[in-house]
Amino acid sequence: MTQLLRTQNDFLACLLDEDAPLPFGWDARQASGMAVYRNAYRTRLIDVLRDTFERTARLVGDDAFLQAATHHLITYPPTNWTIDLAGEEFPHTCAQLFANDPDVGEVAWLEWQMHCAFTAADGEPLTLADFAAETADFDTEQWDELRFELMPGTALRPITYDLVTLWGALADPLWASPVEKLLEPKWVLLWREGEQPTFGLVSETEGLALAGLQQGGTFGKVCAALMNHFKTDDAAAKAGAMLLNWLELGMVRRIHSSRQSTSKDQL
Amino acid sequence: MRDVAAFGGFGLGLRRDHYRDFLTGDVAVDFVEVISENFMVDGGRPLRVLEQVRAKLPVILHGVSLSVGSAHGLDDDHLVRLKALADRIEPLWVSDHLCWTRTSAHNSHDLLPLPLTRAAMDVVCNNVDRAQETLGRAMLFENPSSYLTFPEDEMTEWEFLAEMSRRTGCYLLLDINNIYVSACNHGFDPEAYLAGMPADRVRQIHLAGHTPGDIVIDTHDRPVCDAVWHLYEAAIGKLGEVAVMIERDDAIPPLAHLLTELDRARMIAATARVEWAA
Repeated sequence: MTQLLRTQNDFLACLLDEDAPLPFGWDARQASGMAVYRNAYRTRLIDVLRDTFERTARLVGDDAFLQAATHHLITYPPTNWTIDLAGEEFPHTCAQLFANDPDVGEVAWLEWQMHCAFTAADGEPLTLADFAAETADFDTEQWDELRFELMPGTALRPITYDLVTLWGALADPLWASPVEKLLEPKWVLLWREGEQPTFGLVSETEGLALAGLQQGGTFGKVCAALMNHFKTDDAAAKAGAMLLNWLELGMVRRIHSSRQSTSKDQL
Repeated sequence: MRDVAAFGGFGLGLRRDHYRDFLTGDVAVDFVEVISENFMVDGGRPLRVLEQVRAKLPVILHGVSLSVGSAHGLDDDHLVRLKALADRIEPLWVSDHLCWTRTSAHNSHDLLPLPLTRAAMDVVCNNVDRAQETLGRAMLFENPSSYLTFPEDEMTEWEFLAEMSRRTGCYLLLDINNIYVSACNHGFDPEAYLAGMPADRVRQIHLAGHTPGDIVIDTHDRPVCDAVWHLYEAAIGKLGEVAVMIERDDAIPPLAHLLTELDRARMIAATARVEWAA
């Protein structure tokens, strides 16, 4: 190990842990300087978390948020070159620290996904007309084998709180009203409309179907899973209606069939 | 490798608070500088804003995460993304800092000080060479503000920067406020720092505010102070064509306030250059 490598490892150890010993030969002057760097490190990263998770901070209050953010920086010190990723695991931290209040982890997850979707890759969604033209002469087997690539930034998960209402309420800095748990299982679905990330609640059926497609499942397998899960014969029809909605919302980037792969960019 | 042509002008850092001003009007600046990492993203609105501003004005890409002083070398992903952004935006130039930010395991997201040793010089020069070769262009490196120095230092910061520039062909971004801050914190003569700079390698000047105290902190959250203006006056007359900008990152005021500060930089430069020529 070179001397410079040792110096930098020692320096960063001091920065991350105020109980770490100062490097050999350092005096009070260097200790004072290190205190400045240590304070700047924590302040900057906590500010970034507060900026990214503004609504989560309102939900739990300033003191609890500061404790969670401090805990997060110890558990997950940043590793990536971009400070934008410093909050990547913060929803997980919140879900753990506020295990009895699942709304906290859910809001943090939503804020993180909104943050990611804002700078997700650009691309033209497949239009309903393009999709219809491409699949016009599909036979049953081709429909069964059809796979979907969703637009970059699309994210979804099951939730227990009405995040649409909660999100709106938390826009108010003076937010104070509690939000009730959902009476039935729902999923939150997030995507980007042009430059603006947006989201809405969908049924458990739709959430499961979309999650299946997002994970690379074929349309046939998703229909079969829906039929098995809900014990209904009209699963294919339900899946078709959902697909129409996803296309209209501009959430599908490409389709891949056994015959070809098509995106709007290629048409 | 593409050289960095001199560009004389006065500009501002492009910050989110002022996007609308730059997108909808004609702001009286000759260039804008952006933080590279804010735009090293896959897509979305930030890149669109930058491209719209670029259509109106020259842009400088100023980075904070190259970590050219890192003994672990450069981050491949960072370098690839920086090159993609530079190829897309065609900036006046690409700059970063003489500092390190990370080890192999962690990133501090701060501009940390280097021991000014021969061994560190070799590491920095290797990293600068690699960055410039990858980008296909010479870069600028900024003198950092610092809050400690190392017992093992073997040279002054200005000697380090001058040799680094000579060995790698990189250019220099002179942050006048950083010279002042470090001079206060370490007790050197800021005029000696200026005298030690290779004037022909300086392509840009930063002016910013700081927070006074037992240790002076480079906060970029207030106007440029008189002492920094005086140091700028001493520097600008001795330099050739350089790009001068006000750098404000916190407590960002209305754009008009920054333009007033920029006018002061213009006037000081005009006067100092006349006096220097005489």
